[in-house]
Amino acid sequence: MPREVDPSLNEKQFVTQALEENLRLDGREFDQYRPLELTFGEQYGVADVTLGKTRILAKATAEVTVPYADRPLDGIFTIATELSPMTSPSFEVNRPTETEVLLSRLLEKTVRRSGALDTESLCLVAGQKCWSVRVDVHALSHDGNLTDAACLAVVAALRHFRKPDTSMDAGVLTVYTPAEREPVPLSWLHSPFCVTWSFFGEEGETAVLDATWLEEQVRVGSCTVSLNRHGEICQIAKLGGTPVNAVVLLQCTGVALAKVKEFDELVDRRLTEDLKRRDKGGFMAELRAENDR
Amino acid sequence: MAPDGPLVLPGETIDPSLVPSHPKNPLRLGPGLRHIPPTDIVPTVAGQLITNPVKNSMWIEYNSNRYIPSPNDLILAQILRSTTDAYLCLITPYSAPATLPHLAFEGATKKTRPQLAPGQLVYARITPASANRHMDPELECVSATTGKADGLGPIGVVGTTSGSGSGSTGPGCVFDISLGFARRLLMARSREDGGVGVLEMLGGEEGGGLAFETAVGRNGRVWVGSESARTVVLVGRALQETDRAGLGMEGQRRLVKKLVREMK
Repeated sequence: MPREVDPSLNEKQFVTQALEENLRLDGREFDQYRPLELTFGEQYGVADVTLGKTRILAKATAEVTVPYADRPLDGIFTIATELSPMTSPSFEVNRPTETEVLLSRLLEKTVRRSGALDTESLCLVAGQKCWSVRVDVHALSHDGNLTDAACLAVVAALRHFRKPDTSMDAGVLTVYTPAEREPVPLSWLHSPFCVTWSFFGEEGETAVLDATWLEEQVRVGSCTVSLNRHGEICQIAKLGGTPVNAVVLLQCTGVALAKVKEFDELVDRRLTEDLKRRDKGGFMAELRAENDR
Repeated sequence: MAPDGPLVLPGETIDPSLVPSHPKNPLRLGPGLRHIPPTDIVPTVAGQLITNPVKNSMWIEYNSNRYIPSPNDLILAQILRSTTDAYLCLITPYSAPATLPHLAFEGATKKTRPQLAPGQLVYARITPASANRHMDPELECVSATTGKADGLGPIGVVGTTSGSGSGSTGPGCVFDISLGFARRLLMARSREDGGVGVLEMLGGEEGGGLAFETAVGRNGRVWVGSESARTVVLVGRALQETDRAGLGMEGQRRLVKKLVREMK
């Protein structure tokens, strides 16, 4: 597979030089995100996030399986991230690059390990049957900041998702189709979001939000903060790069909280809109006897 | 887009009344058209069919995403590495590298050839000899007939001495544009034929007389250089926005005014 080519010397020099003059190539402020768009699919659990030219599609699915032997009371929750050659020709199938490993690891830490989804609620029969919820993350286009977009897509997809309703009757488990019983939402505890800072300059003194692909190739370090709107930090990952002053990092987490509140609001707003779109006239319309034809 | 002609799809039959006829000149087919003997002329891409009755030629104006090198195209290449007698350059990402001989610069001899670092940008021409699209293209930074550079050559980077001519304006930056837009920018009368006046406006009255220079590559990359980084960003954004939104003349004027106000 062809290797990703570094940007030219001119671009590298210019990006750093412009940042010293408080300029970004697309004219954004340092703490400004690119236009963020979130749409839901026809099915439950499909979220499509566009962040500038970066686009992520996440799809949540659920099936009934046997729980792990060591955790008989918990359901199974997995996030599958795979970057395909469709994203960029330098990504190869079945040979994860560093970007891909870091992305799946960060999503795992942010969404799964922070207990955003109550896995105990996925248990159907202790030790025998449970729900296995899986989110597939597809990167459709890569123009930097995959982490933030992917995290937003995963959270939005899971909050949009409805799993089939079930009942236990005299030891018989019944899974109802959507026609029989309205599917039920997952038991969702809190919504964590990732905010990635990129650092530029000799000592990483310039901190920039939502770096594009070119900026990501030039940056000297990055730091991903995951938190929810209450300001509870789920994880901070600063993987290598230039050491950054602690005060700068503190300021970064402060701004990150404001951004996370915006994300949370966006997801809430889009979910309400989607609910309204699906709701065909409320309870009275459902009870109506007459036919559409 | 400025030129007007009927839209054609690949494989469509072309109305015979559209084919130009000239008493003396033979009919010349340009990009996107294919002659299937004896009489058929079939488009191979979707686009606008343009005819020129004076030159007795016809071609299809289209915008694609993939650059295919063709002789005499001016392109913006990036040096990958140096071999014994040539530099290997990248024209488009993930494609086979092109060769740029060490001696294909103005006044270059074995001793005075320019030393280019990997990653440096070069404004070059694809040699007329490398006509075969199945072979790796060859580049040159000098005209074979006159021996002059004519504005071709390495594009300056601060801290290196190899920049010819453009070194004074700083590194500048490269912006990606669509191939069709690059072609329109490179037209001799880009304002009338191509419908692109954004560069003139930026340098003229609407932009308040900004000072900058550009190098447009047919491979969909444009280099913008200026002494102030603000100008480079402004020009680059104006170009990309014009391309993305397909703005007309009036739209371009409004865009330039808006950007200049924003970036004051």
